[in-house]
Amino acid sequence: MPTDAKQDTDSAGGGGSDNAYCAPGPLPGSAELLEPLLMVEQLSKSFKTNDGNTLVVLKDLSLTIRNIKHKPQVVSLLGPSGAGKTTALRIMAGLDKPTAGCVRLSEGEGKPLRETRVGDVGVVFQRYPLFDDINVLNNLIEPAVRAGMAKQAARDKALRLLDEFDMVKQGLAWPQQLSGGQRQRVAILQQLMQDRHFIILDEPFSGLDPVNIINVIDLIVSTANQHTLNTFIIVTHDVTSALIVSDTVFLLGRPRDGKDSPIPGARVMKQYDLIAEGLAYRPDIEDLPRFSEIRKEIKLVEFPRL
Amino acid sequence: MAAKTTTTAPTTSRLFSGLTPGSAYFQAVRLHGDPGFFVRANLLVLWLAAFALFWLFNPIKALPYPSELWRALGQMWAAPGSQGLVYNTYVTLKLNVVGLLYSTILSLIIAYMSVLPFFQPFNKLVQWLRYIPIIGFNLVFLTLFTIGWPMKVAMLTVGMSFFLVTSMTAVIASIPRMKFELARVLGYNDLQTFYTVVVRGTGPQMLEVIAQNAAIGWVMITAIETYNRTEGGIGSQIYAYSSVNNLPAVYAYLIIIGIIAIAEDWLFALVKRVAFPHTTVAERA
Repeated sequence: MPTDAKQDTDSAGGGGSDNAYCAPGPLPGSAELLEPLLMVEQLSKSFKTNDGNTLVVLKDLSLTIRNIKHKPQVVSLLGPSGAGKTTALRIMAGLDKPTAGCVRLSEGEGKPLRETRVGDVGVVFQRYPLFDDINVLNNLIEPAVRAGMAKQAARDKALRLLDEFDMVKQGLAWPQQLSGGQRQRVAILQQLMQDRHFIILDEPFSGLDPVNIINVIDLIVSTANQHTLNTFIIVTHDVTSALIVSDTVFLLGRPRDGKDSPIPGARVMKQYDLIAEGLAYRPDIEDLPRFSEIRKEIKLVEFPRL
Repeated sequence: MAAKTTTTAPTTSRLFSGLTPGSAYFQAVRLHGDPGFFVRANLLVLWLAAFALFWLFNPIKALPYPSELWRALGQMWAAPGSQGLVYNTYVTLKLNVVGLLYSTILSLIIAYMSVLPFFQPFNKLVQWLRYIPIIGFNLVFLTLFTIGWPMKVAMLTVGMSFFLVTSMTAVIASIPRMKFELARVLGYNDLQTFYTVVVRGTGPQMLEVIAQNAAIGWVMITAIETYNRTEGGIGSQIYAYSSVNNLPAVYAYLIIIGIIAIAEDWLFALVKRVAFPHTTVAERA
């Protein structure tokens, strides 16, 4: 209902709320079309540096993540180091406010979009921080209880998730006793306990060997498949993994001027729709010539210019 | 035809058979590539032996010999009432425990408040005061507290707090930003984030800081009891024995302080193991 939507927007803590772009309204497109689940609209972010100058990190960054019928959404925000991926992540998670623009998300199918607030979007940070003073099971139960879930229900859900992710044996272990892969799984489960559909994974493939990268990809796919509204946003600079796991890849970087100098402020430079390319959901994706072409294009043509 | 050889894993006893005690020691060191309890215990014995030798044949005449110390301890043990070793040790120990408790509570409050920008200048001021000798404030304490036990407790509490606040604030400042952000994205409110990340999350480090600063408390105690000798205590006894050049008695009390300090260290380690078992796991890892 528009009135409710307005209230939601007003109470939002996320972005520049008086931006006309973020005004609530009917969903764009007809019912047959896939509705947007998350929209990043004209996002800009700049910082004042110590010498008094302004550092423009993001400039008019826009992207839309659309609902895919009967499938979860796995998109990648791909870009070289220093491209502004982490800044975009922080704004999308509500941890930072943008200088301009906003991030809106859907609370469910058919519902209008509203501005994100901190806590709407889960984040699995790099190095997977957990609460080190409580065991794995309580790392899952405690945040869910704090979010309003009954303790017994939270416990049941935590045990079910641990079972699904083959982590029951580690339920009573301290976080310090877990391997990197196990920590990552617990960090993802911690977010899933919250019944939220939007989860950002910050560099989930960083520092992993090829075998573990495949394990992480399988983990992301199996976790995302638990609900069709699940939307995973992977922030990474790993081109191959991003192409394997995603249905859409957004290439983040800075454009060049006439003299081939980078223009301040990263934005989406290119979008790869891997469903349209016939690459998404293909177990044999790495064997497909188009996969190799796109990967080569990103690595050799796009990345050096971003 | 090549001779058939069989290799069997040598048993531990065979590894030491026929070795002299000295060779057996180095064999054990080799076996414990990462120094284990055996090696650590031997190193401790080695250092104690070196210290004992230095003490017995020391060229610094101001240091009493062990026999003199032993005699002084006997005399202090036999001394009646407020002159006795047990009474004075008890008085100082009680002051130490009470002062440490009060200063811990006070310092935790001031350190925790440092997360609020409004209180940060106050926190900085308290940290800066650690450079000022607490005895310099004796007139202030005299005005505010009754001379004797209340004044000694107040001086120790405030004096130790200057150091504790500095260390505790540093612990809070070193919490990774990611920990706060994890709590925020999990939907914790400010108070829940503060409790989970700051209070609960820094518990082991705070205990470590308290253990480290307990040593500073002993330095202060002796100064405070020297200034305020109404109820006795180790500080006042050291002052009294020093003024009559009874060095064996002075050093006997220093050894008593050393023994209490070792016991305190052990107690803090025990509390840490029991209260924060995950830290023991981390240390093992």
